[in-house]
Amino acid sequence: MAFLEIDGLKKRFGSVEILKGINVELEKGGFLVLVGPSGCGKSTLLNTIAGLEQITEGEIRVDGRAINDLHPSKRDIAMVFQSYALYPNMTVAGNIAFGMEMRGVPAAERQAAIDKVAKILQIGHLLQRKPSQLSGGQRQRVAMGRALVRDPKLFLFDEPLSNLDAKLRVDMRIEIKRLHATTGTTIVYVTHDQIEAMTLATKIAVMRDGEVQQFGTPAEIYNNPTNIFVADFMGSPAMNLIPAKIDGNGSGLSVVLDRESRQPIVLPMPGAPAGLAAFKDKQVIFGVRPEALTDPEGAERNGSEIATADCHIEVVEPAGSDTFAVTNLGGKGVVARLRADARIQPGTSTPLAFNLSKAVFFDPATEKRIL
Amino acid sequence: MSAITSPARQASSGLGAKTINRIVIYGLLALFAIFYLMPLFVMLVTSFKTMDEIQNGNMLSLPHAPTFAPWVKAWSEVCSGLTCVGMKGYFWNSIKMVVPAVLISTLLGALNGYVLTKWRFRGHTLVFAMMLFACFIPFQSVLLPMATILGSLGRFGVTLQNATGFNFGLGNSTVNLVFVHVVYGLGFTTLFFRNYYEAFPTELIKAAQVDGASFFQIFRRIMLPNSLPIIVVTVIYQFTNIWNDFLFASAYAGSGDVMPMTVALNNVVNTSTGVVEYNVNMAAAMIAALPTLIVYVVAGRYFVRGLMAGAVKG
Repeated sequence: MAFLEIDGLKKRFGSVEILKGINVELEKGGFLVLVGPSGCGKSTLLNTIAGLEQITEGEIRVDGRAINDLHPSKRDIAMVFQSYALYPNMTVAGNIAFGMEMRGVPAAERQAAIDKVAKILQIGHLLQRKPSQLSGGQRQRVAMGRALVRDPKLFLFDEPLSNLDAKLRVDMRIEIKRLHATTGTTIVYVTHDQIEAMTLATKIAVMRDGEVQQFGTPAEIYNNPTNIFVADFMGSPAMNLIPAKIDGNGSGLSVVLDRESRQPIVLPMPGAPAGLAAFKDKQVIFGVRPEALTDPEGAERNGSEIATADCHIEVVEPAGSDTFAVTNLGGKGVVARLRADARIQPGTSTPLAFNLSKAVFFDPATEKRIL
Repeated sequence: MSAITSPARQASSGLGAKTINRIVIYGLLALFAIFYLMPLFVMLVTSFKTMDEIQNGNMLSLPHAPTFAPWVKAWSEVCSGLTCVGMKGYFWNSIKMVVPAVLISTLLGALNGYVLTKWRFRGHTLVFAMMLFACFIPFQSVLLPMATILGSLGRFGVTLQNATGFNFGLGNSTVNLVFVHVVYGLGFTTLFFRNYYEAFPTELIKAAQVDGASFFQIFRRIMLPNSLPIIVVTVIYQFTNIWNDFLFASAYAGSGDVMPMTVALNNVVNTSTGVVEYNVNMAAAMIAALPTLIVYVVAGRYFVRGLMAGAVKG
């Protein structure tokens, strides 16, 4: 039995259904990230776990106990808010201890708990300051301290890093991951940033329009997206989704990619999975991640199914660690990820290697994964 | 457009035009300020003059031999109607009315604003609209109905007096005025606090809920300590209005030794026996005006800030 179980959860505001039957579970010590575009219901889902929103249907269980009818303070949870929500009229120490104060914990015990948390988060020198005297990163730490001091069963994070600048965000991300590793707490974390999701999570739930599109480990989500939405949402640069046709001759199947005013590219797939044969002579969406579309020298040596084709390069973006090349296939810009020192010129043709063992196919009508 | 063309124009005639603009603006502002402050100045200088000097001298001139006698007389001797005990009793009447009325209406306004923004219930907009509507009801139209209600409360007080030996203040003129001003002020105080709390981050309340704070604990520990600007605005607004109110005061406590300051001042000035003692009248008027002036001077800098915060963010 999982530690956190969300079972058939529905949430309606009047006639509008915000959450349309969510089923998610998380093991003890796990790190669940709810990710999706804004308005997908991820924050609402977090608020229902916290008890700040009532649910219409379903059940939320923590450690085998249904909590969906309990007051937030009775759920044994702690929450870190996007705006940090530090009480401006109290010192850092007062902020951290407020929850304990409300529960009537004696002053000496409170002080000991504050000191312990301050040591973990290295905010000891800030304890007597007001939130307005802190920097963004320090406020973030204090907000985490306020959650940590409670020692709850479940931590909830609502986009905690979105107010920080890019560099600090990366630092705090590592900090949160380290905190999770050292304290072994169970965390539910909401973000719209798929990199945060990939790097932090043990389980990811990709959400759209109040539904979980896919629920799985980061590797599953990344390598085996169940539909076009998940494939497109996760990964940066996004997966190339190219309209293509499956062609078949006597020997086997091949993928045909149209090009404007050029010969179509034909990628033979000798080891094509059996299911693809059903789509022979039909349109599909051919999905290939930028790192599976690279220069032949940089392609995976032991990749079993490498197909090479000459592509016309339109734009070259050297990003330092890699070089991204944009070509046009099937009427769409397609990004290839090359080595940083790849010698490549825009406006020329260059051979690119398609790693077909990493490729995925979608049905253009249903947007679902074929295989 | 103008940003592009103006530097060229400024080079030729800019400096002169700018200076003239400044002179006109400051000149007008100074003129209005003088115009507005003139009565206060006249009151102040007159209150320190002797009657001889007032009758023979210039109204605007400074007193030749400043004297505190008119102030002393106004405070403890002047006649209001037929009783000649000075303004001091009425001054305290006003204080006893204004302090509870301001505190209660401010606190209730804060509570209303808190509920209307952070604990929304079905129909909260209607409730707020109705409270807002209360701001637009003219004083005069509630005079008679309110008199009826106060009469009933007074009779209920007598009943209580007979039954328990204590009337809980019902029927007392000061209590009546406090009640009237609290009810009448509630619309304004609610409006102020609602607009202020509308911009108050809701995540703070959520965080406090997760921390286990109750409805009133959140109000007392989170909302009130972060409401200083709007509290100051409300206190100044309510204090000034209630202290200066004449209509309710004269209607519900218009005679005897329960009169508030405003009614008593009117009686002093209207007393028509003998020479009109302008210096004493002016001193009495100054005494009546002082508390609002003091409140404004002490808390004034928050007033502008608070009005801005409430207006812009709300």
